[in-house]
Amino acid sequence: MNKMSRYRLILIVGVLLSGLAIPLTATPGVAAQTEVERVAIVSPASRTNQGWDQQAIDTLEAIGDERGIEVEVVEEAGYDPVTPILRDLAADDVDLIICHASGYQSECPEFANAEGIPVVVTENPGAVLEGLVADIETQAQEVAYLAGVMAAAETETGTVAIVVSGEPPTWNYMTAGFAQGVHDTNPEVEIIYSVIGEAAYDDAPNARRVTETVITAGADIVFGMGNGSSFGIIQAIRDHNADADDPDNVRFIDVIGDKSDSEAGEFLMTSVLFDYTDVYTQFIDDLEAGTFGTIYTMSLENEGVRLLEPPIDIAPETVELVEEAEAGIRDGSITVPAISDAGELESFLDDLSEGDA
Amino acid sequence: MTVIETLLATALLAAIPLMLAATGEAIGQRSGLLNLGVEGVMLAGAFVGFVVVEAGAGMAFGLVLGALTGAAFGAGFGLAATRLSANQIVLGLGIAVAGEGATGYFFRERFGSSQPLLEAGMSRPFAAYADIPMIGPALLEQRWFVYVALFLVAVVGAWMRFGRPALMLRAAGESPFATEAAGVNVTRVRLLAAVAGQSLVGLGGAALALVEVGFFTPGMTVGIGFIAIAIAMAGRQRPLRIALLAIVFGLLRGSGTAIQLTDFNVQTEFLEMLPYAGVLVLVVLMGRQVRLPRALGTPYERESRNA
Repeated sequence: MNKMSRYRLILIVGVLLSGLAIPLTATPGVAAQTEVERVAIVSPASRTNQGWDQQAIDTLEAIGDERGIEVEVVEEAGYDPVTPILRDLAADDVDLIICHASGYQSECPEFANAEGIPVVVTENPGAVLEGLVADIETQAQEVAYLAGVMAAAETETGTVAIVVSGEPPTWNYMTAGFAQGVHDTNPEVEIIYSVIGEAAYDDAPNARRVTETVITAGADIVFGMGNGSSFGIIQAIRDHNADADDPDNVRFIDVIGDKSDSEAGEFLMTSVLFDYTDVYTQFIDDLEAGTFGTIYTMSLENEGVRLLEPPIDIAPETVELVEEAEAGIRDGSITVPAISDAGELESFLDDLSEGDA
Repeated sequence: MTVIETLLATALLAAIPLMLAATGEAIGQRSGLLNLGVEGVMLAGAFVGFVVVEAGAGMAFGLVLGALTGAAFGAGFGLAATRLSANQIVLGLGIAVAGEGATGYFFRERFGSSQPLLEAGMSRPFAAYADIPMIGPALLEQRWFVYVALFLVAVVGAWMRFGRPALMLRAAGESPFATEAAGVNVTRVRLLAAVAGQSLVGLGGAALALVEVGFFTPGMTVGIGFIAIAIAMAGRQRPLRIALLAIVFGLLRGSGTAIQLTDFNVQTEFLEMLPYAGVLVLVVLMGRQVRLPRALGTPYERESRNA
């Protein structure tokens, strides 16, 4: 055997050993220390929607810039099977994939188990697996409760509306919290609950029509959970206010992002803000420390979710009420229901309107 | 305005983009061209119209540019389908995907992560007479473009029904070889039908962004283009039937919201299905004699008759 062929043999053996080594180090359920160099995020809609998708992608990119981690973004992945996308990312040697939709909550853990690549899922605590699957719980109902307190105290017509672009757990938690907050503050306030569509996250035209209808039905405060379709809600309120005598006739409560610098700023009462900074930082730290695979809850307590400082004038008495409610939640004297299931939510809203809750 | 009045008014407004797009598609179908790319053309018309209006141009100019964008797509589609005998199905699906992708890309290039909204600047010429209960606001409190669109659809309906152009259009879609033998240039008829039809589709897209919604957002048509194709077929390529189906679709869609405002507990999935199921029922009732042009979707080549 000449020198060249011996090197070739060594190279081949080395490659084979490396190939064997990869699955050994990434065996499902075994946490291993990893230096995180590349993180991917898969998001169902556009990163320009100033909501769910943009908030997460912008946060991850900011963390990536700060820590020198390459961030690969796959946006507008929709709700069809994303396994081919996950495989492409795996081929790009990503160290972690954030599956940023409750719609991916079963597909991503299956992929992680099959391929040995760590993933983060949303609203699926049962899928958590040491070293492979971590979960984010967005328990925003407590902050939504505070928004409900504010709405009930501020409404002049005695009717507030909740307009949602679907009924995923994240929206349901906030709907229940908001409705409870309204009810606890003033049980006389009527709550209109309207669903734009089953997964109408980008259906801005229909969001606009639905909002126009709930405004006609008497709502002067609209709590909107839409993503891209939020702009339909905003435009309906804006046009209504342009025609109305009082420019603040109808006001808007947003979720996830801060739109106070946009056209909505004129009538934006507040927003249930989501801040992914701590949770994403934690996951990367955990992965590097070999402790990945936990449930991270974003809540009022850890300020993963918080209420936006009102961009428009709010009565001091209302601010006081909100502060009291926040103190009550923190000291445990106020308990906010956590309802994720759409069927349970409807029963809950029915009970509230009948005064049973 | 009461809830019912709002529902009727928003249903009519929502029907306008659908009506224009379906009428435009019907012109092409009548001539034998099946363009499945309506969704992409609507988005392109919506995007171009929005960009110019956002930059300071008037609404009318934005709508005209939206129509011209549609016409450009129509010319491309028509040329590929007639001169190059391209497969219309593949071509149309390509336009649908490319239209969505391109508008999303250019929107981000132009606006980044911001989402500009337009001022509600369109006058309502008959609003002073809108005090008739129930139907007054729906019929008389609309923006001026709604009346222009209804007039346009009526004119196209008459144009497609009477006179020599209507006959040539229908003949090109039914029996292109016989039509050619009669001295009519089928390729030219189809090309003109594609340009005229898709200009209405582009106008429909611009109407969606500028008149109905007041902004553009990527993918904002959410399937309206595909509904327009179905309505054009179900309405037997007749604009007045198409208009009726579009209004019924809008009404049924709005009725989902109305039902949610009542005490009835109805599943969201059912409410979302309602407009599609309703149109399906109407199609079954109205369309027992629905038949499509015989040569729809098939390329016309003079030489192929002898092959």
